[in-house]
Amino acid sequence: MHVLLIEDDTEAARFLVKGLRESGNTVEHAADGRAGLAQALAGAFDVVITDRMLPHVDGLAVITALRTKGIATPVLVLSALGGVDDRVRGLKAGGDDYLTKPFALAELLARIEALVRRHPAGAPTARLKVEDLEFDLLARRVTRAGRELDLTARELKLLEYLMRRAGQVVTRTMLLEGVWDLHFDPQSNLIDVHISRLRQAIDRGSDQPLIHTVRGSGYVLRAGGDA
Amino acid sequence: MRPNLFHTTAFRLSVGYMLLVTLAVGVTLGSAYLLTESLITDEVDLIIDTELTSLEEKFARSGVPGVTDEINLRIDSWGRIGAVYMLADQNFERIAGNVTDWPFEGMPSERWPEFEIATIEPGRRAVHPVRAAVRTLPGGDLLLVGTDISQGRRFADKFRLATLWGIGLSTLAAALAGFWFSRRLARRVGEVAETCEEIMAGAPGRRLPVAGARDEFDALATSVNRVLDRLEEQAGTLRATFDSAAHDLRAPLHRLRTRMDALLLRSPPLEPGVHESVESALREVDHLQRTLATLLQIALAESGAPLGAPASVDVAALAGELGELFEPVAAAKGLELVCAPQGPAVVSGNRQLLAQLLTNLIENGLKYVPAGGRIEVGVRALSNAVRLTVSDNGPGIAADDRARAAQPFVRLASGDSQEGSGLGLSQVAAIVRLLRGRLELQSNNPGLRVLVELPA
Repeated sequence: MHVLLIEDDTEAARFLVKGLRESGNTVEHAADGRAGLAQALAGAFDVVITDRMLPHVDGLAVITALRTKGIATPVLVLSALGGVDDRVRGLKAGGDDYLTKPFALAELLARIEALVRRHPAGAPTARLKVEDLEFDLLARRVTRAGRELDLTARELKLLEYLMRRAGQVVTRTMLLEGVWDLHFDPQSNLIDVHISRLRQAIDRGSDQPLIHTVRGSGYVLRAGGDA
Repeated sequence: MRPNLFHTTAFRLSVGYMLLVTLAVGVTLGSAYLLTESLITDEVDLIIDTELTSLEEKFARSGVPGVTDEINLRIDSWGRIGAVYMLADQNFERIAGNVTDWPFEGMPSERWPEFEIATIEPGRRAVHPVRAAVRTLPGGDLLLVGTDISQGRRFADKFRLATLWGIGLSTLAAALAGFWFSRRLARRVGEVAETCEEIMAGAPGRRLPVAGARDEFDALATSVNRVLDRLEEQAGTLRATFDSAAHDLRAPLHRLRTRMDALLLRSPPLEPGVHESVESALREVDHLQRTLATLLQIALAESGAPLGAPASVDVAALAGELGELFEPVAAAKGLELVCAPQGPAVVSGNRQLLAQLLTNLIENGLKYVPAGGRIEVGVRALSNAVRLTVSDNGPGIAADDRARAAQPFVRLASGDSQEGSGLGLSQVAAIVRLLRGRLELQSNNPGLRVLVELPA
């Protein structure tokens, strides 16, 4: 992926660039809003990661400027402001995702991956399929190898979220946000328990597990072995 | 809140004012009426008394025939208008006078008895009230002198009617003026109250209207607006301070975390032991970060900075979702989590804050209630509030400790071994304050019952 990172904290930026590169991305870095906006306008990036508070042109202004120019590149906002209103303001300005500092690199990687691969344009899907796991979105029915599974409404939502991002790493906070609409971290290991229930329902009795744990990151739904 | 018109000071003052006006007008007109009436009767009484005396003198000089002559003379010729005379014997039989029959049952007991007399006037029959006096002449005959008082009566009646109208109209005028006055006052005070409510509910830019009448309300509105300007400015400064504090504290944490992350991703990988140490250090960083975030949020809420944009949130539905989210964790700990909201119960707030509040209360229960216990979440819509309760049958909090349990960093004896920042309940308290609700820790006999009431 071709990533533009706009971040004025040089030390944090250095490690972020390093982390992003080591995960197989090409990264360009801009140290202030004005340079960042110029680069974002000039190059074709898959994703822009911008800090919220930047010298010269503030992060939200960068997004607004990009959107005004009709550039739809997904933007992830990094911010040291974690208030409940800050997030809303960030998304309102045209940001696609919002991450409060400090965050785990794995979290950032999973999120930019999700942003870039987000629903490819086209007709809305009525059916999701991963191997022999099929999800009929209209009837809200799930079958594994033709056998219908008995899932609760919430388990269906969780499974849908995972299947729509099949092959991508999904973090616990992404699940909390996407499935439960909770934008804070409860202390309990809630997601692990829910995933293990879902795994029970999906993978029990099958020699090919579909839900895999990615150590230090989260989960991924895909055919094949562990990461 | 717009005060009920009938409970306003202005209304009470108006009612008092109205009663005062009624009383003053009533006393003035009433005494004028009584005075006039007594003046009229006094004059009548004086005339009757004088005539009686002169007739008595006549009797003394010339006996019954003299009095009879005198009476007839007075009736026929120059007698005053409306005069009534009667001379009767001991058996009340008429001897002379212009009244045919004795008008009383025997001797009247009052000094100034009144009776009615029917007269034939051209074309109609009329009844006239008469005020009279009776004297017994030496020898036992009775002398009655009276005066037709119908004119005075009519005057008194009209005067009384005018008095009553006067009292009624001035009372009505006072009542209308008072009502208008209290309505006007209540409206202007209501405007002040409503504006203040709107500001508290998240419209910090609102100001009181200044009518331009240069009255005391404009003076008040101007002063209040100045206070509001000042408060908004302070809230802005405070917000900026919190933002920079958050930024300055998070930035180094972020650099630290990023460095450690980079260490973990490094190739060749770290030795397993070192890797593990770095990972556990990372967990501490995350814990530190969470505590910091919570503290900042509590401080911001406590500072009174209003909530950005409140939205309608159905607490019952939210409690249901969280109950479902936490149920497996509770089950894994051997706890029963019952969530029985009687929805919908909508409040004006922020979904994330309300979810955080519920989460903290449920997690407190998960942390402190021993296996086999039960946590119950209840939501009920009251007339103008939503009551949220989280009750458990765990160890509870001693009555003495309940007050300080919601203070930051207070951890009570039973929980010391547990993980947690000790900020959970203080965060709940801060959120409740931010949403202008009420928090109460009660005993659940046994256990803890946390009651939160939020305005609808």
